[in-house]
Amino acid sequence: MAAILEKRRELRDLDWQTATIAILIASFGVWQIYNAAPTEGFWSKQIIGVGIALAAFIAVCMTDYRRIIDAAPVFYAIGLVLLLLVLTPLGAQSHGQKAWLRLPLIGQFQPSEFVKIPTVLMLAKYFGAKKGNVLTFKEMLIGGAIWGGPVLLILLEPDVGQVITYVPILAAVFFLSGIKVRYVVLAVVAAAVMVPTAWYVGVKTGKIKRYQQERILAITNPEEVDPRGYGYHTIQSTITVGKGGLLGLEGETETSQSVLKFLPEPHSDFIFAVTAENTGFIGCVSLLLAYAVLMSRMIAGARQSTDRAGMLVIMSVVCAMAFQIFMNVGMALGTLPVIGVPLPMMSAGVSAILTTFVAIGFVVSVKLRRFVN
Amino acid sequence: MAFRDHVQNLTARIGTIQILVFILLAGLGVRLYYLQIVRGDYFAERAENQRVRLIPIPAPRGAILDRNGKLLVDSRPTYNVVLSHEPLKQINVNDRVDDYSRGLHIDRQFVVERLNLIKKQNDFESMVLKENVDMGDISWVESHSLEFPELRVELQPQRFYPLGTTLAHVLGYVGEISPKQLEEDEYKEKGFRPGDIIGKGGLEQYYDQYLRGHDGYRKVLVDSRGRVQAELEVIPPQSGQDLVTTIDLDLQEEAERQLANSATKRGTVIVMDPNNGELFAMASAPSFDPNVFVRGSTTPEGRKQIAAYWQDELRPLYNRAIQGRYPPGSTFKIPMSVGALQDKAITVAHSNVLCGGGITVGNKFTRCMGSHGSPPLDYAITKSCDGYYYHLGLKWGIEGMIKMIGTFEFDKRTGIDLPNEKIPQTPKTWMPWIVKHEGSWKDIRTVYASVGQDTVVMTPISMLRAIAAVGMRGKEFTPHFLKEFRPIGAVGQEGDIAYIPPRPGFAYQHPEARLIEMEPAQWDLVLKGMWGVVNNGGTAGSIKMAGWEIAGKTGTAQVASLGMDKGKNKDHAWFDSFAPWNKPEIAVLSLIENSGFGAANSAPVAKGIYMEYLRKHPHDGVTVPETEVAKK
Repeated sequence: MAAILEKRRELRDLDWQTATIAILIASFGVWQIYNAAPTEGFWSKQIIGVGIALAAFIAVCMTDYRRIIDAAPVFYAIGLVLLLLVLTPLGAQSHGQKAWLRLPLIGQFQPSEFVKIPTVLMLAKYFGAKKGNVLTFKEMLIGGAIWGGPVLLILLEPDVGQVITYVPILAAVFFLSGIKVRYVVLAVVAAAVMVPTAWYVGVKTGKIKRYQQERILAITNPEEVDPRGYGYHTIQSTITVGKGGLLGLEGETETSQSVLKFLPEPHSDFIFAVTAENTGFIGCVSLLLAYAVLMSRMIAGARQSTDRAGMLVIMSVVCAMAFQIFMNVGMALGTLPVIGVPLPMMSAGVSAILTTFVAIGFVVSVKLRRFVN
Repeated sequence: MAFRDHVQNLTARIGTIQILVFILLAGLGVRLYYLQIVRGDYFAERAENQRVRLIPIPAPRGAILDRNGKLLVDSRPTYNVVLSHEPLKQINVNDRVDDYSRGLHIDRQFVVERLNLIKKQNDFESMVLKENVDMGDISWVESHSLEFPELRVELQPQRFYPLGTTLAHVLGYVGEISPKQLEEDEYKEKGFRPGDIIGKGGLEQYYDQYLRGHDGYRKVLVDSRGRVQAELEVIPPQSGQDLVTTIDLDLQEEAERQLANSATKRGTVIVMDPNNGELFAMASAPSFDPNVFVRGSTTPEGRKQIAAYWQDELRPLYNRAIQGRYPPGSTFKIPMSVGALQDKAITVAHSNVLCGGGITVGNKFTRCMGSHGSPPLDYAITKSCDGYYYHLGLKWGIEGMIKMIGTFEFDKRTGIDLPNEKIPQTPKTWMPWIVKHEGSWKDIRTVYASVGQDTVVMTPISMLRAIAAVGMRGKEFTPHFLKEFRPIGAVGQEGDIAYIPPRPGFAYQHPEARLIEMEPAQWDLVLKGMWGVVNNGGTAGSIKMAGWEIAGKTGTAQVASLGMDKGKNKDHAWFDSFAPWNKPEIAVLSLIENSGFGAANSAPVAKGIYMEYLRKHPHDGVTVPETEVAKK
């Protein structure tokens, strides 16, 4: 009886709005995947992915996040095992990387995508127990180690793009665990100095290879640098976005950039360019606003969280998501290098959509339990 | 915040993150505004340019027919491998050279030239890489379409010369416009582009603008690899106009047969209607096969064959009828006679001039082939008396001869509708040079010129025109091949963008006919002499035919001085004629290089032509020997 009552209350207090926005974005994403390649099965596969993701989302919502955080070490250990398995012959090679794991019954999936969640949980568990003092050096070392485990294994795949998406998780956790502001300033200044210096030294000594340089230089001048490789991706993506204009294609879908295969990877990495071509400025701004509203609601949930661990989970998810959106859209708009980072809830890929919905599930779960002790 | 933590200032830190997120999203929005709203039109155009491509549909050239509608030149569909530029832009073209030359069996050097040429073109241009490909080539291209998306197979019209070497010099051939021609204003103005097929030589060149059609094009949608996805629009081509020539293929073939059977198999035969200048035949031997030029330029073997044509000492590419310049020898005595009568150096009543078996000028004796006393003009023509003309030349003087050269227009082109016609050279052209270099014009040169030697070289066509004009008692016509261009219909509806107006048919526009004026009695005298050449014991008496009275003049033109005239340096044999002598229907000139006497080597060639003419146009009282027909 009590259980039923609790379930009812849960349903009433569930953050339906956050869930609705997430589902709307995902549905919009399915439509764009269809636009990207109407004749291929990506869109129907994505519908199944969204279905699985929703089921997982509801399951996570209904579970008390505190119990999951308690069990974080188990998940974390499983995550590391999966990442290790990727490096064994069970891992599947694609585009020169071993990022996929092929398992019987489950099929093929990308552990580096899922492992974000145990990593966030593990960090939340460790830093959530912390009292309200300034972050110590020892805590930073332990946090770095928790984070470094999966990151190291992903680097071995090697999937640098995926590693980049892990950076904001650690940054958010440190920032919200009381790292001194002067360290933050120091880190920013150091990055501002070190990155150009490293670039200069790397180019001079030849440590940064020609193709790697081109990938970066192609951003500033795609027509001159590497116009056949990464420059081509940047050029075609920019053309596709610009062509969308205010209202998008308005029906002329058979001559779209993705249907004619001018745009590479339209259903995954360049899904934003497809969106821009099909729905124009109006559609793109609406999508960005939807992301803004979604993240605002998540941040509001973080503010209401009853414990530090819940707050850290939500803010890590927000930072990781915001960073991924920025990297992906920036790439599609020709302002950031071409790095294969999926657009949350939009890019085709079951692993990614499942991970994102599970993460949002945690957020909703945290919000749901804001009144309980 | 549900849990209080003022030490870490958490509220502010979360707020900072939120603001940061909004700033990043706003930044993306600004960039979107720039790309989609500010530069949207620019990118829309770029996208359009890369997906829409114009593929030209080459228009078939007009056919060329003989006067009876027999096909001389046609275009037939062939499969060509076409190279398009756009997909090549993204690759290093040098990587392709070996692939293409191995896969399509084409000359490596040619592939390099092609690739260099196409690199200079606009993005959407295409060029033919190999013409007339076979099934093996087609399947090679199809099976490598992923690897080499820039190659495609297209059905295009190709010029075809079914007669091979027959009539080659008159027809000419077609080929791609040369880089040098593209630089010339004449071609620039007409908007020619590299890879365009134009007429080269012969009627193909002279009437190129009428034979050439208007190319159409297909507007197609392509994907990123240049593969055609859909056809958006088709503008059909307009074929070129068909050219009906004055050629009689039977006479042409007879002329070529006669040349092939001649002593040296080198020379020219021209057959003309003296009543209007229509050319029935023009043969020049040795000849070449125009198909080699059309098909061979891409293959190593073809290029070797073309080079061999150019290097051949016998000069097969050269049209001897209009580009060859030969001393006319005794055939020049006919215009000499007309000029001297006009100038009254001799009269009908007193046309006798001393032969004397030759002439002594200074201390040099120049002999006549016989001793003819003091013959009248007609006898001098009939017997081809050199002595008569030596003395006449000196009596008349070089100025009179130069006036005659103007009268017969030997100082100009005949105006035949073929390119690259040469102008004869005569004392008129040589006089200033000789006076400058030798101090004065010596009498011996006048003596030599009187019998068509030394300073006189003629193109066969100008010689034939002059003799035909004599047959016509002074009426001189411009020799030509054009009978008519047939009309061609419009393409599309008037008012369409793609509308191409019809092209009207038209016939040959005769330039004003010229008249060489002389008294009838004077003409009678000259014609009597020429009639006698064949019919009254003259130099060409051997070709006399019952009922068909030919008038003509033989010529044996010296190439080297007496005693050296052996083998390669043997005399050129001429025979200029028309028939019937008093009302000419047909004029025939034959010239056999280095074969010796005109009467023996050239006159029988003309006879063969006349017999073929008579077989086609039976005349009462003229019987053509059956054996000649059976020989065919």
